[in-house]
Amino acid sequence: MKTSRRQFLQSGGAALVGVSIKGDRAIAGSFVNDSFQMGHLLRDGAQFAQANQVVKRAVVIVGGGIAGLSAAWRLNKKGFSDFVLLEMNEQTGGNSRWGENEITAYPWAAHYVPVPGPKALYVRELFEELGVLKDGQWEERYLCFSPQERLFLYGKWQEGIEPAIGLRAVDREQFQQLEDFIQNFRATGKFTVPMEIGFSETTAELDRISFAEWLHAQGMNSRILNWYMNYCCRDDYGATTSTTSAWAGIQYFASREPEEKGPLTWPEGNGWIVRRLLERVGKYVQPNRMVHRISRHGKRFSLLAGNTEYQAEFVIFAAPTFLAPFVVEGMAPLDDFEYSPWLTANLTLDHFPDSYGGDATWDNVFMESPTLGYVDATHQSLRSYVDRTVWTFYWALAEGSPAENRQLLLNKDWNYWKEAILRDLERVHHDIRRCVSRIDIMRMGHAMARPKVGAIFSAERRNLAQGRGRILFANSDLSGFSIFEEAQYRGVTAAEKVLREIGGRA
Amino acid sequence: MGILLFITVLLIAACGLIYELIAGTLASYLLGDSVLQFSTIIGCYLFAMGIGSAMSRYIHRGLVYRFVWIELLLGVIGGFSSALLFLAFAYTQGFQLLMYAVVIVIGVLVGLEIPLLMRIVRERYHFRDVVAHILTFDYLGALGASLLFPILLVPYLGLVRSAMLFGVINVVVALWSTFLFAKQLATAGTLRMVGVVVLCGLGIGLAQATRITMAAEDNIYADEIILARDTRYQHIVLTRFKDDIRLFLNSHLQFSSRDEYRYHEALIHPGLSAIAAPRRVLVLGGGDGLAVREILKYPQIESITLVDLDSEMTRLFSTHPMLTALNQKSFSSPKVHIINADAFPWVDANTDSFDFIVIDFPDPTNYSLGKLYTTAFYKAAGRHLSAAGLMVVQSTSPMFARDSYWCIAETLKQAGLKTYPYHVYVPSFGEWGFVIAGHRDYELPISLPAGLRFINLEEMPALFQFPPDMAPMPMPPNRLNDQVLVRAYDQDWKDISH
Repeated sequence: MKTSRRQFLQSGGAALVGVSIKGDRAIAGSFVNDSFQMGHLLRDGAQFAQANQVVKRAVVIVGGGIAGLSAAWRLNKKGFSDFVLLEMNEQTGGNSRWGENEITAYPWAAHYVPVPGPKALYVRELFEELGVLKDGQWEERYLCFSPQERLFLYGKWQEGIEPAIGLRAVDREQFQQLEDFIQNFRATGKFTVPMEIGFSETTAELDRISFAEWLHAQGMNSRILNWYMNYCCRDDYGATTSTTSAWAGIQYFASREPEEKGPLTWPEGNGWIVRRLLERVGKYVQPNRMVHRISRHGKRFSLLAGNTEYQAEFVIFAAPTFLAPFVVEGMAPLDDFEYSPWLTANLTLDHFPDSYGGDATWDNVFMESPTLGYVDATHQSLRSYVDRTVWTFYWALAEGSPAENRQLLLNKDWNYWKEAILRDLERVHHDIRRCVSRIDIMRMGHAMARPKVGAIFSAERRNLAQGRGRILFANSDLSGFSIFEEAQYRGVTAAEKVLREIGGRA
Repeated sequence: MGILLFITVLLIAACGLIYELIAGTLASYLLGDSVLQFSTIIGCYLFAMGIGSAMSRYIHRGLVYRFVWIELLLGVIGGFSSALLFLAFAYTQGFQLLMYAVVIVIGVLVGLEIPLLMRIVRERYHFRDVVAHILTFDYLGALGASLLFPILLVPYLGLVRSAMLFGVINVVVALWSTFLFAKQLATAGTLRMVGVVVLCGLGIGLAQATRITMAAEDNIYADEIILARDTRYQHIVLTRFKDDIRLFLNSHLQFSSRDEYRYHEALIHPGLSAIAAPRRVLVLGGGDGLAVREILKYPQIESITLVDLDSEMTRLFSTHPMLTALNQKSFSSPKVHIINADAFPWVDANTDSFDFIVIDFPDPTNYSLGKLYTTAFYKAAGRHLSAAGLMVVQSTSPMFARDSYWCIAETLKQAGLKTYPYHVYVPSFGEWGFVIAGHRDYELPISLPAGLRFINLEEMPALFQFPPDMAPMPMPPNRLNDQVLVRAYDQDWKDISH
């Protein structure tokens, strides 16, 4: 095997401490939070141990992401306690999981919530309860501090991610044209957060073409504008404009009011919300409990997880919906649920790179990069002096087929991804290797629902989203895309339905 | 023998004058007012020479032996005088005392040289010739030295090296005198050995002059920088020009010792004097101890808590003699509790209540410092105010940074506080602004501590008046998520510099 110069330096590094090239320091780290092994057991129909105890509850919530936790929050808040939440992983929180080291807490995935609009009633209710919204005012320390975002392009940083420098007149015109379109769509009231509020068949046409096709049809061919649209789709959906439904592309912009300075964010990202929710409903949560079988026996459901059989009258299935056909007895396979694979990494920096440039900023994006850049976990610190930090690096594997990208995620080792991340950062921070002491990487094969063409109005999805019967689906993927507000809405709605059913019978 | 003798006279005369010039120059550089320094040093020096001359009559025997000793002593004391004085200035408070002592000792020794030499050679020449020749070469040496000093020595060698070089000459004169006057010398061995040792010492000194210069000369006289230190948090530079000491943090002027009393009296007294019975005070920032110095003028105050990020800064202002002279050792007061912490998290976590809060941070030049000027910060600080409590905030200049000043006032208002803006003139800053804020109404004080140099009751109402060019500007508040202040401050100073 031939060794590269870098490998040689690293392997010989111990013997040559102080002699090796400056900057080629050892970087520790590993893959963390892998969960595909468990998913593959379900997919491959593996044999599980027999249950040796029975637990009876009125309601079992499957999945402890935001949807499941929100369902639990609602049940608990309404004084209902005859339920249990089963989480497959050791750590609850799903896409809002978080970590912490000696420097700061940091997110593993979702790291912010846009300032909720007036229609996001459940989100507002939660935030009032958590002290994020007080007397109509958003708590200042939970709003993203200045400076919020910056974009590296043409060899320099600009404030904000929407390209503002180097624009030609035609680029400006098209940005304005798009803005006008968005204004009109927003005015229809059919693009809302949560999406269910404004959802209307009259917009179904937009779900039949891709966002790229729609932009092209409007004559919007500006390279810069298309870069920005593509960035937005990668950021929110893990997809490109050509693999995103035009409806979803428009939803991204038209569903939100031009807002107060936001978004809401915390050092550990949405993990902060998870922590607050767990303070309230942690007592109902059972981690390391993968439900591998759900079957119906008359009026009762039987859920098998580990050595326990849970018997329940209602099931709130808040785990990703694509898992359901592998678990729920008799459920037909699903065709319209596609997911985007992602990779996130947390990089521990002993110091900021000399190449940092400008004031410490929350979200940092490079134009010439397939990744989404990095978010600074210490940005929301109240401290005036910060010398060490953690960067959360986001990479939606948006180009190409999700299945192939999932294979890539699984087949390549930590060193491959570590190098890929460092090389991406070296586009702008040539001295990054001198600053980083640790890189932990989280691979997510099915990180978020992808709103591909036809996904939003898919009959299969709409049917599950209607939520009839005693097994209620609650994952954000029922909306067609994964955002906090959708997950929370689905979870709370499912809990409300259960409460109505149970209350109605009583 | 004749010519060698006269060269000896020429050289020792040059050495003597050089030491005098070095002392005068050093004192002018370090203390300023060169007329005063040169006058007093020349006066002392000549007077000391007179003492030396007078003392020469008490030397009866062993003239050559004593002459050689004098040359050796001059070599050591004169040669190291410059380095010694530099280091003394940099590290002690006794510079002036030491300087005059050195000048007098050298003067006495130089005063002994010529009378002794005359007596040594008097048997070989007529008295008339001795006086004429020796004095001629004495004055020639002085001329040479006085020309050499400004043209070659100071520019090319510097003060430390020049002194050492002439120290070497004194020792060389001592050594060759042991040969020149060998007949009049009982034993030369010890003298020669001492001479070689001193020569080695001076040689080492010359070789290390750069380091001594690094430690003292460059820091003091070249840049007038007394101290430059990179701490974990900032770059601290202390400069001195004549009697003006200035502190710079990250190259921003924090105070000038000439007029800081105006700033610190204005920062403290309008607010603190308006509180009936203040007991507990909180100072955020203010690691120079100057605000604390003013607060200690209120004997009823029981405790002062000072929160400053940089332990190096508070340590420096607790120990450096020049700085403790400025803050009157305020950090040594048993009432003062120094906490080295980042202010916002400290204010957020602490639950103590204070009667007076002084918020004296560096200007909001970046977003990190800008956090300390936000509604969120002022709300958190306001929670520490006792019922009768007030806070005062250093708020940049209402003249040069008008938008910034009124932005800070608006931010305090939006944090739910009543605000009372005022301003003073501080020559080294220009017009400077503060805001008193609290949950209660503010009324002007009816008494002040004794001994203030700037603030008085009669003029105080005028501080709260703003002429049209500093009048309020409508500004949005500065928030963590929308730091308009940092942008406004940046713009304000850009406008000034164009």
